[in-house]
Amino acid sequence: MNLKSIHSGARGLGWIALWALALLACNNNPYPATEGDEKVLYSSFREAPRSLDPAVAYDTGAHAITGSVYDTLLEYHYLKRPYELIPGLATNLPSQRPGDPGYTVYRFDLRPGMMYENDPAFALDEPGRTTREIVAADVAFELCRLADPAVNSPVVEPFSNIQGFQDFGQALTQRREDPAFADLPVQDQYASLGGISGVRSVGDHGLEVAVRSDYPQIQYWFAMPFTSPVPWEAVAFYDGQEGRPRFADHPVASGPYRLDQYDRQSRMVLEANPNWYGAMHPEWAAPGAVYPSEGAPGDLEAGLLAPEWVGQSLPFIDRVEFRREKESIPYFNKFLQGYYDAAGVIKESFDQVIDEGGLSEEMAEMGIRLEKGVEPTIFYIGFNLDDETVGRPGGGPARKLRQAMSLVVDSQEYTRIFTNGRGIPAQSPLPPGLFGYDDGYENPYRQVDLERARELMVEAGYPEGIDPATGKPLTLSFDTYDTSAQGMLQYRFFTDAWRQLGINVKVEATNYNQFQEKVRNGAYQIFMWGWVADYPDPENFLFLLWSDLARSKSGGPNTANFMDDRFDALYLSMKSRPNGPERQKEIREMRQILEVERPWIELFHREDYALFQGWLENVKPFGMSFPMTKYRDLDPAARASHREDWNQPVVWPIWVGLALVIVLIVPGVVTFMRERQ
Amino acid sequence: MGAYVIRRLGYGAIVVFGVLFLLFILFFTVTSPDDIARKALGERVPPAVVEQWKINHGYDKPLFPAPGQWADNMLVEHYRRMLTFDFGRSDADDTPILERIRKGMGPSLALTIPLFVLSLLVAIPLALLVAFFRETYIDRAGVILAVLAMSVSVLLYIIGAQYLVGKVLHWFPISGFDSNPQVVVRFLALPIMIGVANGLGGDIRFYRTVFLEESNTDYVRTARAKGCGEVRIMSRHVFRNSLIPLLTRIVVAIPFLFTGSLLLESFFGIPGLGAITVDAIQGNDFSVLRTMVYIGSLLFVVGQILTDLSYALVDPRVRLE
Repeated sequence: MNLKSIHSGARGLGWIALWALALLACNNNPYPATEGDEKVLYSSFREAPRSLDPAVAYDTGAHAITGSVYDTLLEYHYLKRPYELIPGLATNLPSQRPGDPGYTVYRFDLRPGMMYENDPAFALDEPGRTTREIVAADVAFELCRLADPAVNSPVVEPFSNIQGFQDFGQALTQRREDPAFADLPVQDQYASLGGISGVRSVGDHGLEVAVRSDYPQIQYWFAMPFTSPVPWEAVAFYDGQEGRPRFADHPVASGPYRLDQYDRQSRMVLEANPNWYGAMHPEWAAPGAVYPSEGAPGDLEAGLLAPEWVGQSLPFIDRVEFRREKESIPYFNKFLQGYYDAAGVIKESFDQVIDEGGLSEEMAEMGIRLEKGVEPTIFYIGFNLDDETVGRPGGGPARKLRQAMSLVVDSQEYTRIFTNGRGIPAQSPLPPGLFGYDDGYENPYRQVDLERARELMVEAGYPEGIDPATGKPLTLSFDTYDTSAQGMLQYRFFTDAWRQLGINVKVEATNYNQFQEKVRNGAYQIFMWGWVADYPDPENFLFLLWSDLARSKSGGPNTANFMDDRFDALYLSMKSRPNGPERQKEIREMRQILEVERPWIELFHREDYALFQGWLENVKPFGMSFPMTKYRDLDPAARASHREDWNQPVVWPIWVGLALVIVLIVPGVVTFMRERQ
Repeated sequence: MGAYVIRRLGYGAIVVFGVLFLLFILFFTVTSPDDIARKALGERVPPAVVEQWKINHGYDKPLFPAPGQWADNMLVEHYRRMLTFDFGRSDADDTPILERIRKGMGPSLALTIPLFVLSLLVAIPLALLVAFFRETYIDRAGVILAVLAMSVSVLLYIIGAQYLVGKVLHWFPISGFDSNPQVVVRFLALPIMIGVANGLGGDIRFYRTVFLEESNTDYVRTARAKGCGEVRIMSRHVFRNSLIPLLTRIVVAIPFLFTGSLLLESFFGIPGLGAITVDAIQGNDFSVLRTMVYIGSLLFVVGQILTDLSYALVDPRVRLE
């Protein structure tokens, strides 16, 4: 072979390589072709979680991971509404018996034989070991971590209802002043203090927790990753030293999935955990490890109780891929191309997706489903009841003023303008899906009635909004820390409504610190606030109006400083009562008090619109931020087929472009060369 | 030349020391360590937790040297850490900053090196072509198109290309990144195309001006008079003699390939150093931001020195003394 032919061959190979590269590149599939047939759920995240430590993680993004990798003693029934607790790692819901005066002891029994995921941390105690059994002491250890001030858990307050919880935290702080004690591994520190006095392991699988009797809501916290069993070995091993990650970035858990890859900047991958008790012991048919056979009304018709899933072992999906999507438009477009299995409705595409509250024809034709779910939230305008004009010192006239102001705020219009209609007008603090919510209830002060409002203004002593003391329109302040243009527009909506009554409400927008200072000093009149429930119990909303938690009294979340003896008595009684007619009656009476007193103008309960591809099955919006991935299923063949149909490359512009270049350039070159000659 | 390099390194060191001092003033006196802690932990955390966080991050010492604390203060610590590349941990998520930089450098270079090379390979021949056809409609159209291309915001290029190429034509993924060799080319193709297109207008105009200036010199006229072909004149003579102004623009950009592209990485979700910087800005991650600004200043100094050295390499008449 001569040199020329070698050259020619090399050039040919170069061209082939170039074309191969071009073909490889000319495809918009963001995943390797080999993933096409696998049961992989594709999801996204905007910002990586700050921490995956179950004692600390408290945001939705983190919960998408911790909720799947950390299993809990209790969990929520996937389908039933109102929400219902079922056993998870525990064999049953906890039994209760009286403890020390004022305390109730909850007894949990863990299933014997459950194991953690495989991890090198377990070799710390026994060389060569890769896993071990989950024991009650692991839950007790995690409760100690919650109490440990160094962990900085955001849920110390509700867990302070556990007997000895606060004392344990204080003792730790004191003892750590001794450097010798502070140098001990945390598990030894906890052990040397004897743990939390109200938490006791009984054998390997029994756990007793003594909690204040007036806080039965503690059970809900045992359905959250805060109380997951955590092996001490993992906390000791993953300390961020010598190249080991921190425990906050490396979960060691026992849930249906395990964290396989964690790249905060681009990708998080969960894969089914072969050590999960549901996978290792399908014969147990534990409530949290099989698809439910019962649901809420309508679930059967919606196909959520289809025989192919009922009673089947979970999880159905083998792997969950979270890809980072910082921008909402590319993320949504990829959903429309079939590369994500679910998406929220972004405001930029709202009109394309939603038509008269339902799914648009275009989306429906693609087989996409819209699921709406009201979140356990409440957004409201509050009055500072310590204020002389709008609050308690103003007596009956101030109450009538609040009633009048409540009557002119149109929640329906507000949600239409500012949330694309995603929200249902609130009639009371309680959102749908919670015990105590009454679908038929209409708050007489939350129906827009301008005439009645004007009459109330006269009764309040402000005819046509004129303050008799000054002879000028009554002037009030609306305090906020939102200085954005969008925020100003929202507040303008309210001030315009109140201007119809002749009231001049000025928006006082400051930065957050200044706003906090105003709140601390009680120097505010009207504010807007929201609340997202930690757990689905009416107590978690009504406590926002309990006088013991008034901001001016104790710095608590009752920013309206509402104080009503009858309401307080009903609250304390309702709080520790199980769901039933008595509790319902008490809630109704509390609602009536709020209806008249108007510490809040209830605005709306946020509604989540979620879109799901047709190949994703068993989807029921849960409302709260619990990832219910283990119950979902998908059809990879249908997905692959749709992706192919929806993403055929369009190549004609390449030829048009080339032709255009030739037509434009060639005559010029020819002319130029001719002139030169 | 050795003396020159040492002198330039000395000037560079002064610049870096100055940048570090400005960084310290901006990041620790304008924003107090307490504010940094509260931004990281939230506004409602108890003071004890804030204090512990400050200790963990080394923000608990006095800001400036004082009698008895000449060494144990934040200013000295700031210089020590930066100069020894001990960047510590992120204020926002506690991850080691050096590790993040190490991880981010790969995706950044995967984007910026092909982008840089392709830009040169496309812009220089096109500029030569336009200069070759000077004063024809190809030249005029080229200049108009270049000005138009320069006038369009890079955001429009990004959003337009994502829509057209990614959504409508389905040629490449709209955004994202995966280091898997099977798919990495797909993810980088579109941002590279946009990067090349975005820089093309300015590059062509600049290179064209340089080439035209050079092609009007006496030696080129002599070459033409001697019957040398136009293609040969442009490629052999004009191009080679235009290298000094070209290098000024090119070599100074090389060190910044490491820091990635802020906008492209951010919009395409490429986990490089540019995206890390944008994240740090958005997430009030002061320690990462401080580090990235410091690295930027180091690279700037390196770029300047490399540019000067490259003059001597391409032009034997230049003597660095």
